[in-house]
Amino acid sequence: MAEHEHISCQEVVELVNDYLDKGLEPETASLFEQHVNFCDGCDWYLDQMRTTISTVGRVTEEEVPPEMRDKLMTAFREWKRS
Amino acid sequence: MSEAEVQPSAAAEEQELLERLRAGDERAFETLVERHYPTMLAVARHYVSSRAVAEEVVQDAWLGVLNGLDRFEGRSSLRTWILRILVNRAKTRGARDARTVPFASIMPQGEEAAVEPERFRGPDDPFPGHWRAYPGTWQRLPEEALADRETLEVVLTAIHRLPPPQRIVITMRDIQGCEAEEVCAALDVSEGNQRVLLHRARSKVRSALERHFDG
Repeated sequence: MAEHEHISCQEVVELVNDYLDKGLEPETASLFEQHVNFCDGCDWYLDQMRTTISTVGRVTEEEVPPEMRDKLMTAFREWKRS
Repeated sequence: MSEAEVQPSAAAEEQELLERLRAGDERAFETLVERHYPTMLAVARHYVSSRAVAEEVVQDAWLGVLNGLDRFEGRSSLRTWILRILVNRAKTRGARDARTVPFASIMPQGEEAAVEPERFRGPDDPFPGHWRAYPGTWQRLPEEALADRETLEVVLTAIHRLPPPQRIVITMRDIQGCEAEEVCAALDVSEGNQRVLLHRARSKVRSALERHFDG
């Protein structure tokens, strides 16, 4: 009986980000997809990771402290004059 | 949304911003500062010893940006160029401080599992490495649950708890939308290390969200 090449769920969770960033070799990407197409757990995990990335994207970052903003705007005005 | 759809408008927007900057438009400069300051500070902190010094480096880098503006030809994106100026200043300053920690030494050593190994079947099981119990599905979560303040707080806390290199990488890639190459150049790490750092960072944030959604 031919030994079918496959990857396990435990491997899927380590490859998921490379898969999403298109960093997998074509053969590995295809094994990944075959697995996810047949495994609900990994399909949900992949979806969780997509959701995680989009949720991280909603986070707003640190604001520029007012003193820094003032210093930089002063520098800009000086630059404009020169 | 694919990159092909984003790129042209982003480039056009940048060109417009650049023209306004050169014409001395203060609002344009403010926009640029707001957009890039958090990443610049995080990257600077990677090279120098304290927040105060990092702030000086960022300020200094902005002067370099202004002075180079007329010579900027747009062969790279404005962000890539700004980050390059910043990294050069930060490295100079870091070398003077002689406090810089080489990135290689803070790369996570050894394996660090994205999901606890106990959640998978063991080597003696007929299905080794397969889930013992599936993770929950988030597909039925209402959109509001993903965007509410509590969820964002969970994400923010998880990001702040990450080791600094992982924190910078996830911030640059997933909040700022930087390309992998920009991260590698800014932090002086290989493509492989960048991928590992991003993977570990995202995996930890996912775990935090899982605890939040699934209890």
